[in-house]
Amino acid sequence: MWILRVNMNDRIYRLSEVPEAYKNLGGRGTTSTIVYDEVPPLCHPLGPNNKLVFAPGIVTGTAASTSARVSAGAKSWLTGGIKESNAGSSWASYLANMRIKALIVEGQPKEKGKYWMAHITWDDGAGKPKVSFLPADPYTGKDLYEVFPKVYEQFGARAAIAGCGVAGEYGYGNSGIAYNDLGKRPSRYSGRGGLGTVMASKGLKFIVLESKGAPGVAIANKEVFDRGAKKLTEALREHAITKPKGGLNTYGTAVLINIMNEAGGLPTRNFSSGRFEGAAKIAGEAIFEGVKNRLGKEVYNHACSPGCIIQCSNTWYKPDGTEHTSCVEYESDWALGANCGIDSLDDVAEMVRLCNAYGLDTIEAGTTLAVAMEAGVIPFGDGKKAIGLVQEMGKGTPLGRILGGGTEFTGRAFGVTRVPTVKRQSMPAYEPRAVKGIGITYATSTMGADHTAGYTIGPEILGVGGKVDPLSPEGKAALSRGFQATTAFIDSTGHCLFIAFAILDIPSGFEGMMEECNGVLGTNWASEDAAKIGGEILRKERAFNEAAGIGKAEDRVPEFMKFEPLPPHNQVYDVPDKVLDSVYGEL
Amino acid sequence: MSDMSVDVWLYGPLARYGKEADQGSFANLQMRLPDGSNMDALLRRLGINADERGITFINGQLSAMPGLQPDLGYTLSDGDRVGIFHPKSMWPFQYRHGASMTEEMARAMRQEKDHGLHHTYEEAGDSS
Ligand code: SF4
Repeated sequence: MWILRVNMNDRIYRLSEVPEAYKNLGGRGTTSTIVYDEVPPLCHPLGPNNKLVFAPGIVTGTAASTSARVSAGAKSWLTGGIKESNAGSSWASYLANMRIKALIVEGQPKEKGKYWMAHITWDDGAGKPKVSFLPADPYTGKDLYEVFPKVYEQFGARAAIAGCGVAGEYGYGNSGIAYNDLGKRPSRYSGRGGLGTVMASKGLKFIVLESKGAPGVAIANKEVFDRGAKKLTEALREHAITKPKGGLNTYGTAVLINIMNEAGGLPTRNFSSGRFEGAAKIAGEAIFEGVKNRLGKEVYNHACSPGCIIQCSNTWYKPDGTEHTSCVEYESDWALGANCGIDSLDDVAEMVRLCNAYGLDTIEAGTTLAVAMEAGVIPFGDGKKAIGLVQEMGKGTPLGRILGGGTEFTGRAFGVTRVPTVKRQSMPAYEPRAVKGIGITYATSTMGADHTAGYTIGPEILGVGGKVDPLSPEGKAALSRGFQATTAFIDSTGHCLFIAFAILDIPSGFEGMMEECNGVLGTNWASEDAAKIGGEILRKERAFNEAAGIGKAEDRVPEFMKFEPLPPHNQVYDVPDKVLDSVYGEL
Repeated sequence: MSDMSVDVWLYGPLARYGKEADQGSFANLQMRLPDGSNMDALLRRLGINADERGITFINGQLSAMPGLQPDLGYTLSDGDRVGIFHPKSMWPFQYRHGASMTEEMARAMRQEKDHGLHHTYEEAGDSS
């Protein structure tokens, strides 16, 4: 396998063997380790010393189900700390098929405002990947929906594309890296943390991959791998949430809108209530019914990337039956819907489409609009005006640039105190005052407020479940630690986090995941090792953050949550600081 | 015996039990029930078999999960809000750890395998 370094100072590249210490890393483990080892924690995120690292997961590119994920990592432009943000795309499998363990983008060109594309293909004769650089001028300053088809025209239908939108070119704190989905849409995102702008700061607009002729992923022990892949596939096919026509395949992640609303934990109108009266109109059930009405048939969801069994990605259609956007996920639906007081799926879908077109993170965009609404820029609930504000971001007007700076930046520009961020990244769709365990993860995650930071737990933590009461504050802290560590491991395997739902209930699925990794790497990991390996990754991330000036004083939810009771439960966030400190203190 | 009113929300395929209140993807109805009625009586009145429903909330407190239904004897009060979901709906554990639940549910969870740190309780938990 290769480490591929692309230096944007003078557009040269270098291939090297994978160092021994990196051999068993993948995905987030790879990106966070390289950022920790090579990026000066105090560097400017947009300066020449930051590095943008892409890494496929350990089993990405193999026949393992639901595993076409790529991690992107760097020092974050939004948080100032370490960032890993992963996405599902054929782009991930191509990287893995060319045996690229890590693609490291370094340096930056002298010319300002000049953009390039890196085209990475497999050189059959030499038996290794090669890179060529082409100017990206025709593609800058444009809508990604307009540009992606042209890039496909230039490089052929078998290419896979990663790139930044205008949000990155403008330098926004809110900017993601877009990847193609299976329908060639620019709709899969390493959305969080301003990585699109880090990419743009390197003068890099697109990375186009073509893995034709590449050897594919080397598997050390095929028998072990096959056994593991079979166990995991069976678990995914059997579990109510992940199976075909199960919860995710039918309603998508937006199935959680009504649930969180009933629980009183759906942040509404900039985190001022936990319940939205219009929730049922924008929920996953409403998307399913709405599509059925507009198309005259039931439509189950599709896969974002090759080999996904769960297939959670939906499509919203216009009244005339033509496609509006894909996909309206829970977080996007909530951020641009309930959190802005907007109950029209058509308006939400239009904003999701615009975010994809400009290269914006939908979560950060929605929470920013809500802060602007709180400031009185536009009223809560006005979908048309909200669409107008997203368009301002796309145009780069002065107001658009304030909003593009992100939620915290907008709060500062308008003097708003109710700003739902941790470490400068906005909270996703779970109210910490209603779901206190999530609040612990939001507060302490190395990534800033992040719903994907605490996603699954391994068997040894389940064992702890027998000793610590998961309802007590200490139990919640222990669980959050276990969640975060095992999640860092899954983020390294290349599996989509949604496998976590099945493997938490079906232990053979968890074993299967470990065996797949053992099969690829030739290791001997047991289920208990997941949290250990993940814990190592967290330690590096934490150390990077501390060296970057982000210590435990930032492991806190925003102050307003401590004194503003949240209806309908009328609770404040009361998890003591010492409990929050114990999450990493006892790692 | 006097009546009370309960604010009932039915989601997904359960919306059809809301009859004329059925909006396709949900139904919201104000139901009049005799004072002191419990959840079991509410479900009967709606015509919903207990195992046709999954996640359930009473006043924002989780009261039942698929395969774990300690709320059938729960006595409802005037003005209560009840949200009932189809078994297809999900609320993964990591998104509910620390959320409010009824006392009966908290007790039932504690008795489950691994303190109930699961998503489903039929196949995986030993809900006996
Ligand atoms: S479960 Fe959904 S997000 Fe995950 S890989 Fe499959 S389609 Fe993509």
